[in-house]
Amino acid sequence: MTVSSAILLDRTADRAPALMQVAGLCKRYGEQRALVDISFAVNAGEVLGLIGPNGAGKTTLMEAVAGILAADDGRVLWRGTSLALPQRREFMFYLPDGLRPWEGQYAAEVIAFFAAVYGRPEIVVADTIRSLGLAPVLRKRIAALSKGYGRRLMLALALLAPHPLLLMDEPFDGFDLRQTREIMNVLRDVASNGRTFVLAIHQLGDAARVCDRFVLLADGRVRGVGTLAQLRAQTGKPAAGLEEVFLALT
Amino acid sequence: MRSPDPAVVRRAPFHPLLAKEMREVASGRALWTMLLILCPLVGYSFFQAAALYGEASSAARDSPVLASGLSPLDGVLVPTFGALYVAVTLLFPFVAIRTLGREKETGALRLLVQLPYRVPTLIAAKMTAIFGAWLAVVIPAASALAIWLMLGGHLYLPETLDILLGHLLYGLLVGAIALFSASISESSATAAIVTLAFTIGSWVLDFALAGQPGVLEWVSRLSLTQTLRGFEQGLLSAGLLLGIVAAICGFAALAAVWLHPGVPLRAKLVRSAVCVTIAAAVVAVATQIGVSVDVTEDRRNSFPAADQRALAELREPLIITVHLAAEDPRYVDLRRNILLKLERVVPNITIRLATAGQSVVGSTSEEAYGEIEYSYGGRSDKSRSTSHREILPLIYALAGRPPPTPIAGEEYPGYPLLANASPALAWFLGGLPLLIVIAWWLSRRPPQIAAQLIKDGGQS
Repeated sequence: MTVSSAILLDRTADRAPALMQVAGLCKRYGEQRALVDISFAVNAGEVLGLIGPNGAGKTTLMEAVAGILAADDGRVLWRGTSLALPQRREFMFYLPDGLRPWEGQYAAEVIAFFAAVYGRPEIVVADTIRSLGLAPVLRKRIAALSKGYGRRLMLALALLAPHPLLLMDEPFDGFDLRQTREIMNVLRDVASNGRTFVLAIHQLGDAARVCDRFVLLADGRVRGVGTLAQLRAQTGKPAAGLEEVFLALT
Repeated sequence: MRSPDPAVVRRAPFHPLLAKEMREVASGRALWTMLLILCPLVGYSFFQAAALYGEASSAARDSPVLASGLSPLDGVLVPTFGALYVAVTLLFPFVAIRTLGREKETGALRLLVQLPYRVPTLIAAKMTAIFGAWLAVVIPAASALAIWLMLGGHLYLPETLDILLGHLLYGLLVGAIALFSASISESSATAAIVTLAFTIGSWVLDFALAGQPGVLEWVSRLSLTQTLRGFEQGLLSAGLLLGIVAAICGFAALAAVWLHPGVPLRAKLVRSAVCVTIAAAVVAVATQIGVSVDVTEDRRNSFPAADQRALAELREPLIITVHLAAEDPRYVDLRRNILLKLERVVPNITIRLATAGQSVVGSTSEEAYGEIEYSYGGRSDKSRSTSHREILPLIYALAGRPPPTPIAGEEYPGYPLLANASPALAWFLGGLPLLIVIAWWLSRRPPQIAAQLIKDGGQS
């Protein structure tokens, strides 16, 4: 039994089913094993960080969970019930990294598109635009947006999706320190209203600041799951930071 | 298995998706570039066609016989829309690919497939946007027809609509192929190469294999340009219509199969095989449907009305055995002037090519080569003619009935027109391009934004 399987079973044995569980997810690219028996659970209202270096399998894991990528094995459960691949988009929304979609269209048009698709009222749209500071660029084409505003726009699209669970790949990439903190506040604010986040982050400092719990990934395997305190206990380093814990477990 | 919580959003309205697709097509340069290129292309084709039509008309001014040979369908419609055909073949793939290619390149597809739309709905929206783009692309040719009418020219509505329908189906077929190519390719460039392999490959089939005997002749029929031939001849064929629609739906279905990145390769291959099988079966059924309507004003695809009525009354099997090679010009002539018309009107007809699979070189040494044998009601006769004036009396004689009396006043009068189309060049080289540039500029204007969003939506 792997570390992650044990944690999942321990987690689900004595409590109500988690919001979402990943059980035994595997993915191969030819001979390369990108994901090996990945299992972990996500609780409602928490911010869970998928932590790992580049190439650890974070993006593959998120795409497999979201149903964008076909996994070779494993299941995704929603409150204890298995979700087929086409069903997953009804329960979670995944924001990939490095997107610059529909470059020829205006930011306002793309926001309006998502709002119309999901039937979001104008007040929610206005609130999302305000919280992410997008008003100055609404009349700009997406191709003309700076990297930071491009990221903000993508976050706005994800926040307009009404799903209870949002998966975001490197949501702070492209932001400076001040902007990163500002976006973290936005996400924490949204999470405090009951939405759940799974964030793939390779900057451990950022992850430590925003996440409630962590899934440590390396070489496509789960190396540890839990809060920072639980991970410290697991490594036997009670004063260690996330970086040291990560290095100790991977 | 119990169901999880009620899903958040299972369905979404179609119009935001369609509006997004239309904006995506309009925001690219491919459509506007194609429109600008079409202006001189269509304009010059129309100008040349009108000039040649005028020259022919001047000779026919005092001769009703010559005038009856002047049809705007051949003289103006087909050449003008020929320019559109060339542009759709070579440039429209780039417009159609944009509906998906950029989304694959930028990763937007990964957002799109998460929206609460089924994949066929996504493809339907993209095909509708392609239809919208085709409507824009047809504007120069449509304006040429308007100019033709203003010059005093004649257009027969069924013929005109038939040509438009043919070009619409051809455009949608090219668009569906482009969409399929984009769905299986990682980049727009690769998708363009795949699509052009289909469209330009059709030209290769036309030039290299048309008229060849046997299997090669069958292969040449797979050319996309075959879709237009019937319409250009003023024939509205149910079989051809069904075949083209099946091909369009087949390619669109294949695009849907290959669109979602989360579906395993094996499942995509199995579903593709199902799509291809169904489409091929429908096309096979379509080839067996002989129902067609002659929409031309001069009834070029039909015998004179009296003969049509008489031939339709032949109830016994008419068997025609042709001793000509398929690529022999006499056979081509016979098929166009006699056989196709007979197939359309005689209820029970069988046509056999005695030299099937043989070439002219291998067949001409036979003594019977060139003969066409007609059998009806246990009697038979032979002829080498390809003219209905000789063949129809022969068939009536076999059937034991007199030739029908011609109906007076049904002759096609022809529409000669001596018109100066030079001013049209100013429209196609100046006015229309200017309007297109203005439309492009208008399409680039930022959208109106609700004041509330700007007022409250500033940086927090």
